[in-house]
Amino acid sequence: MIERTVTVVPEDGLHARPASKVVEAANAYESTVTVGPADGDSVNAASMLAVTGLGVGPGDDVVVTADGPDEADALDELESILTTPEG
Amino acid sequence: MANNDHKPLTTELIDLDHEPETKPEAIEQLLALAVDAGRVNDREQALADLHAREEEATTGVGMGIGIPHAKSTAVVAPTIAFTRSAEGIDFDAMDDEPATLIFMLLVPAEGGEEHLAMLSSLSRSLMHEETRTALHEAESPERVESIILEAVE
Repeated sequence: MIERTVTVVPEDGLHARPASKVVEAANAYESTVTVGPADGDSVNAASMLAVTGLGVGPGDDVVVTADGPDEADALDELESILTTPEG
Repeated sequence: MANNDHKPLTTELIDLDHEPETKPEAIEQLLALAVDAGRVNDREQALADLHAREEEATTGVGMGIGIPHAKSTAVVAPTIAFTRSAEGIDFDAMDDEPATLIFMLLVPAEGGEEHLAMLSSLSRSLMHEETRTALHEAESPERVESIILEAVE
């Protein structure tokens, strides 16, 4: 399992299009991907309901973890989504 | 509605008698409840804002839940409206689960991040199977009201 702390850049936070991209990416990898606030519980990043429930806003720090055969790629893609202004 | 101004949801915003058959129909039906309750003063504007949000990314969040929502100049006060579908309707969810519990969240344009807070507490609560089952089994708008208000508090 690998993890990385990322500051969320998109204006929408983990909501709307950025959230949808995170969930799509998490579903595309074989690895299990989680996301959560730096100081709280993480959730399955492949569930839109769970990700929406985090209520993460722009400028918030989140911890992303990936566990599986393609974990490095999964983490890179998640980081890229979370740090791109457009999501 | 003077006495209800502080509550985002009242029984007049809950429709257990008419089941929508499509996503656009669900959105129109829930918006009509908000308009009739005096929570929205420009139906067309609110509808446009709801569709714009839907085009950005679907509000079919999976697990049988649809939460169309918008922050809009047409909205007078933070509002939740609710209906359900026994058969489920296609909400373009990523998990392909048809939506059976459908919520609409509307907040005034000046509402800041209020709508996101309401959306995330509702979503967190709906992660629990007990909440979803309770909403399916609720037999009266009064019961639905108390489940949802507890969820977003």
